[in-house]
Amino acid sequence: MSALQLVSARRRRTDQVMRGVLGVATLIALVPLALILFYLLSKGIGAIKSGFFSSDPNLSQCFPHVPGAPPPPPCNIGGIRSAILGTVEIVGLATVIAVPLGIIVALWLTEYGKESPLANIVRYFVDVMTGVPSIVFGLFVYTLLVVSHVGGDAVGWKGALAVALLMLPIVIRSAEVVLLLVPSSLREAALALGSPRWRVVTRVVLPTAGPGLITGSLLAIARGAGETAPLLFTIGAAHVLTGNLGQPMNSLPTQIFSDLGQNTSAFVDRAWGAALTLVAMILLLNLIARAISRRSRLA
Amino acid sequence: MQETRHQFRETLKQLEAQALGGLDLVTAQLDRSLEAVTYQDVELAGMVVADDDRIDGRYLEVHQGVLSLLARQAPVAGDLRIVAALLHIIRCVERMGDQCVNIGKLVPLSGYEAPKDKDILDAIERMGQQARLQVAQAKQAFASRNVELAQDLVRQDAVINKLNREIFRRAVEVGDDLEVREWAMYMILVARCLERIGDNTVDIAEQVVFVVTGLFREFADASTPPAAGTRLS
Amino acid sequence: MIPPDTESKEQTVSTADQPAGQQASVSQPTPAGDERAQGGHSIICKDLNAYYGQFHSIKGIDFVCPANEVTALIGPSGSGKSTVVRCINRMHEEIPGARAEGSVKLDDLDVYGAGVDVTSVRRLIGMVFQKPNPFPTMSIFDNVAAGLRLTGTRSDNLRERVHRALRAVGLWGEVKNRLNAPGIGLSGGQQQRLCIARTVAVEPEVILMDEPCSALDPVATLKIEELIDELKERYTIVIVTHNMQQAARVANSTAFMLDGELIEHAPTNDIFTNPKDERTERYVTGKFG
Repeated sequence: MSALQLVSARRRRTDQVMRGVLGVATLIALVPLALILFYLLSKGIGAIKSGFFSSDPNLSQCFPHVPGAPPPPPCNIGGIRSAILGTVEIVGLATVIAVPLGIIVALWLTEYGKESPLANIVRYFVDVMTGVPSIVFGLFVYTLLVVSHVGGDAVGWKGALAVALLMLPIVIRSAEVVLLLVPSSLREAALALGSPRWRVVTRVVLPTAGPGLITGSLLAIARGAGETAPLLFTIGAAHVLTGNLGQPMNSLPTQIFSDLGQNTSAFVDRAWGAALTLVAMILLLNLIARAISRRSRLA
Repeated sequence: MQETRHQFRETLKQLEAQALGGLDLVTAQLDRSLEAVTYQDVELAGMVVADDDRIDGRYLEVHQGVLSLLARQAPVAGDLRIVAALLHIIRCVERMGDQCVNIGKLVPLSGYEAPKDKDILDAIERMGQQARLQVAQAKQAFASRNVELAQDLVRQDAVINKLNREIFRRAVEVGDDLEVREWAMYMILVARCLERIGDNTVDIAEQVVFVVTGLFREFADASTPPAAGTRLS
Repeated sequence: MIPPDTESKEQTVSTADQPAGQQASVSQPTPAGDERAQGGHSIICKDLNAYYGQFHSIKGIDFVCPANEVTALIGPSGSGKSTVVRCINRMHEEIPGARAEGSVKLDDLDVYGAGVDVTSVRRLIGMVFQKPNPFPTMSIFDNVAAGLRLTGTRSDNLRERVHRALRAVGLWGEVKNRLNAPGIGLSGGQQQRLCIARTVAVEPEVILMDEPCSALDPVATLKIEELIDELKERYTIVIVTHNMQQAARVANSTAFMLDGELIEHAPTNDIFTNPKDERTERYVTGKFG
């Protein structure tokens, strides 16, 4: 007959110590995050004055106030409207390129390539691409398209291409994971009914994986929207609002980058405001992705 | 490696032992009933009648065992044939027991004196020995699943049937002797009971063939003589 | 479509003395579908071999499934019974590295014949799997219609065919008021019947069932067995089962397989009262698992 033992004091102490260690580590990790959010909010909110979202950045200069000299003219450097729209257009084009292409590659990997040597090579390269620094994509597009003056100099669509290259491996990886989650019994059932394989993919696999694919794509978009390096040399410097991707374009990351280069507080404030806007947009995308994934039946 | 369904096989073996053990009970009853006839022992005959309860009890045991096995173990193929055969056999056992009881009941009716015909008594004794032999052979045949031994019972049964007809003839012959003839009538009935016992052993033999081959065939009925002639019974 | 050999079959029907208005068209399913019950369809496998890479899993078997009968395949795990059934509708070749050789004839047509379209084979030979697998994104109606839509069958009376299929499997009463509810909202037994309805809606000639009741409770199992009994009036059914009692209950004939060989194939009654092969006897009486 075995007797039930009570937890020893030593074990209880160890348990408490470990819990303490874990709690402290978590706090340490959260502190920078909290600080960033705090700064974002406090500095960013301050920058959002009237006209912040409705006017484009203009070329006015802000002169610092020199004591003794007459006060400088009022500084109105404008808002970030063209940057927001630029980001939307650039990321939009990047999405249109990367998401369908990525999903198709993922479909090939799961439905046709499977474990073949070619498929494994493709997977390896996709893995490598996820690790490539984002500036390399910018550099690649810069060298290939901007320097060679193909279709103009630094313009919007070249930046979008660089962002698309960055998003592509992310879309492929997440789509492949989601597609693999579709139970093979569903494919079998469809095949056994006499369906050709392509219909199995379009009518069964894709609809079933749908929500997961959307979630993965949204996360890739969120990632792409925040990248600065691919855009630095590829979209050119512009401030005007433009819907033409064949022209140089503004974007939130590049706007923040250029604003931080100025040493006047007005610009820095605007940078914080832009940063807050960008983070808010990305947060929104994340929330939508979560909401969709929660309603999904797979992941 | 232990065989699968160990419990089931054990239960089936025990059931078979119980059913075949019934044949031993029959043999004991047979011996005693014949002794009662030979020595006109009415008390012994009474014991035979009373002891039939044991055979009836054995019948119920085996019957219940078969039901239980069918319900719980779902026997198929060879096992199923054995179970069906056991049910058949235990019914034969019960019928043979009843025949012994009939013999026992005839003893007091045939009177307390001893005027008998020696020939008839001899024939009765020989019939009894033959019946005993057949019961033992049936048991052996089933236990060892021996088809030849089973089929031989048909030939054996012919002996009993021949003796039965002999006794009838002899009884008719002594019909004029007033003192003996009533006793002789009862001896015909006793012979009839013994002949029935013989038929039951042939039924058991048919079950042996069924279990082994899966085919059920009625053995040639040996009670009618091959040649056309006086048709008895 | 099936190679041109069928043309001769169709002509035999229409050249019989029939007035012009009465042309029986064999190729399309008729609205009532009753005409299909005549002229059943058999499966004859000859010298069937199957491989998983190097592993020789089915070793040259000859196997016949008579028309409008239920044929059961029993045997221990790994005996190859599921493989045989998957060779019949050519699902076996969907496994990477797997191949099959030999001939499997649906009536006169070898499904492994040169140039035969695999999808048309599977339209004629349907399959029900062990675990019910209704399509999760589709409603009950869409699930049953899936077979028709996935095979690109143009159908004017889609609704009618779906309703008929649901009636045929005994689900109609239970779902008629919620045809748009998701298919996966049904109980296990209902889901399996839904999958059978999906298979039946395509109007195959043969239905293969790979342990269809393994994942179900006893009551659902018995309902499906009743259904199998009704379905055999119109289809030829081949069922793989681990449960010998089930084979004993539903099958007209039973085939015993061991290590990739077909040991014995006989009327079910004979297999379970007097099997000819010692190995069959040992398997059905449980002397080995």
